[in-house]
Amino acid sequence: MESITLHVNGQPYTVEVHPDMPLLWVLRDLLGLTGTKYGCGIGQCGACTVHQDGEAIQSCTTPVSEIHDSEITTIEGLGGDNPLQSAWIAESVPQCGYCQPGQIMTAAALLKHNPNPDDEAIDEAMAYNLCRCGTYQRIRRAIHLAAGQSEGSAT
Amino acid sequence: MSAKLSRREFIKVSAVGGGLLLGFHLPATQKIRAQTAETTFIPNAYLKITSDNTITVMVHRSEMGQGVQTAIPMILADELEADWSQVRFEQAPADSAYGDQVTGGSVSISSSYGMLRMAAAAARTMLIAAAAQIWNVDPAECRAENNLVVHEEKQLSYGELAATAATLPVPRRQELQLKDPSAFRLIGTSIPNVLTPQYVDGTAQFASDVRLPGMLYAAVARCPVFGGSVLNYDDSQAKAFEGVRHVVEIENGIAVVADNSWAALAARDLLDITWDEGDFASQNDETLLQTFAAEIPSAEVSPTIEATYFTPYLAHATMEPMNCTADVRPDGCDVWAPTQNRQQAKSVATSLTRLSRDVVNIHVPPIGCGLGRRLKVDYVEEAVQISKLVGVPIKLLWSREDDIQNGAYRPATYHVLRAAIDEQGMPSHFEHHIVGQPVAAASDLAYGASDHPYRLGDSVVRAHPVTLPIPTAYFRSVSNPTSAFAREIFLDEMAELAGQDPYEYRMALLRSERFKVVLETAAREAGWGNPLPEGHAHGIAFHTTWGIPVAQVAEVSIFRDKPRIHRIVCAIDCGLVINPDMVVAQVESGIAVGLSSLFNAITFEDGRVQEGNLRNYPLLEMEDMPIVDVHIIPSTEMPEGVGEMGIPPVVPAVINALYKLTGQRIRQLPIREDDFSG
Repeated sequence: MESITLHVNGQPYTVEVHPDMPLLWVLRDLLGLTGTKYGCGIGQCGACTVHQDGEAIQSCTTPVSEIHDSEITTIEGLGGDNPLQSAWIAESVPQCGYCQPGQIMTAAALLKHNPNPDDEAIDEAMAYNLCRCGTYQRIRRAIHLAAGQSEGSAT
Repeated sequence: MSAKLSRREFIKVSAVGGGLLLGFHLPATQKIRAQTAETTFIPNAYLKITSDNTITVMVHRSEMGQGVQTAIPMILADELEADWSQVRFEQAPADSAYGDQVTGGSVSISSSYGMLRMAAAAARTMLIAAAAQIWNVDPAECRAENNLVVHEEKQLSYGELAATAATLPVPRRQELQLKDPSAFRLIGTSIPNVLTPQYVDGTAQFASDVRLPGMLYAAVARCPVFGGSVLNYDDSQAKAFEGVRHVVEIENGIAVVADNSWAALAARDLLDITWDEGDFASQNDETLLQTFAAEIPSAEVSPTIEATYFTPYLAHATMEPMNCTADVRPDGCDVWAPTQNRQQAKSVATSLTRLSRDVVNIHVPPIGCGLGRRLKVDYVEEAVQISKLVGVPIKLLWSREDDIQNGAYRPATYHVLRAAIDEQGMPSHFEHHIVGQPVAAASDLAYGASDHPYRLGDSVVRAHPVTLPIPTAYFRSVSNPTSAFAREIFLDEMAELAGQDPYEYRMALLRSERFKVVLETAAREAGWGNPLPEGHAHGIAFHTTWGIPVAQVAEVSIFRDKPRIHRIVCAIDCGLVINPDMVVAQVESGIAVGLSSLFNAITFEDGRVQEGNLRNYPLLEMEDMPIVDVHIIPSTEMPEGVGEMGIPPVVPAVINALYKLTGQRIRQLPIREDDFSG
């Protein structure tokens, strides 16, 4: 066991954990932030995506000991009225909804780097976020919609 | 004020709708009424109207992405003339009062539609009667609209009328007047899924998100060979792992119970277990194929054409893996389960705990994809056993590896099709033999085959069941996709032999005008026969799933030695549509699941599943998802299901297109690179 301090969604937390425990389980089981999902445990499905200092990472393969002083943002920390979340609602993206927090977190990191991505850039960025319900075309539309809104608000 | 509903009156109402209204008189409703007797009007099991003008709909089927938690309230609210903004939703308990609550077979809407409208019409009639009584006017002069009953200048809200309505008798069947469909306000509109805001902000609570005070986390080691069992085990290393609290043996294997999920999963891998692997350990893909092939009888009529097809075992691989949280106490049991079969979950939990049924509660949160896997309740059995043994609430999590290697699978199917074709190219004799493991009965191997939509001369369709210890489960559309896969590719082979266009050939063979309209619509909207970009080809397929006709045209090319599916044009006739965008979404997800099956297989060596996780059981990615163009045939007929109907035509449509590009006929799934790279 180690005592590790984390900064999640602007809040400091100190947890007593095995240093190998993936961040996913620290978030879900220790901190109760269950919006981040388990899907595969090997970084293949993207359901566990969170931000580390603004970059999308797969929390299921990131040991908590590697987090150090970085700022972690989960779906709970995105605010609820993020343009992506509004766009997801406008395009009626989710079906079962399980993968969607991870999808939105990856999309948020994409828009940060590329405020107006084309389909190819979206496909590339989103390739490791799987959706068994096949909502991909709607996700693409929602990302374009959110990108348009962000552009509008920036100018 | 409680509703005065005598048992006799309930039974009268129950007769409405051809016997579908069974169970208006349910114990759960009685309990709710007792708790909130002063403020709530509970006309039946589906509706509660409270004095704050809130309407609560009890949704009796599981929400797993198909939108039933939106569609069922839409039907009730429309008939009730409710204000949609005042409608709330709860998942109903497992109770036989709701009849069959199994969420499968695409029947949640089609089997409930009439019953739900009657239930809402009864409530509306009672609210109008309450207002008429208060105003001392003729009920016929009053009307219901938007949570109000109105008479000339007077109006009272449903909330204000709840207490009085609850004192009135339930109307007789013949007193109920259903709305004319032309007056529908909600039915036929694309109201967004009521859960979407929770899905996108992370607050949706799936069963795997449930947290209870004092809860521990569990993982189970199961025999890697189906039908095997534990001989002995050493748990010393597992028990020494930080955070591990218990190691217990259950029916299905050895469970590790720990302070968190990761400790349970990690320590589970430290168990040293000796298994009695049983007979299946000698089996592999080749022996299974031999077993299947041996079942095929010789031809009844000398065929002009014969072909053999194969589809492998498939894992459902729902995004939310199997899980269950169980809290077994001496005086009761609560279970949170992502189940499509809450009544079965209740039965197994009752049986395992030996508690009385009325203290066993099954909670069904939103489900992270169902696909039929969750019709089984094996994960509920495990969780209840573990909680009972350790005496605290536990959350059982299946890892993705558990889900793929210890699951329950869509059965592999082995098909031989034969046809005798006359001089005009038309079939005079048709045989379709299907070999595989049934899920429940031999007939479930031949859904969509024995009820095929064509005139094929004398048609012989036979299922040949084999017995194996591999656990099987229904998989969205059951055997419709495998039946369609074999027959729709074979029809293209027949058309080629007959020298006919695959679309025209099907049009000539289809049994009904309704089917022809669907096929013609898909072909027209896709531009069948028109030139396509260089390197692109169209393939077509038609299928009826549970009688619902669907046609699809796939536009396909080959890119970097992989098929690229650009667009699927789909036509469907599913009767009256409750929520058009949800129909489109269901077709989209059906196509996604179908396309994944082009690439997926569960294979066996030494009785063990060879696939372990999503690396070697790959699911469809964003770049693989085609544009889906859905055309719903306008209809005023009774609403039909749509959940499963999108899947069956898509794979044969794609493969028929690939044949045009490569000249190679694919008859086996999954597709391999040398199927189309040559």
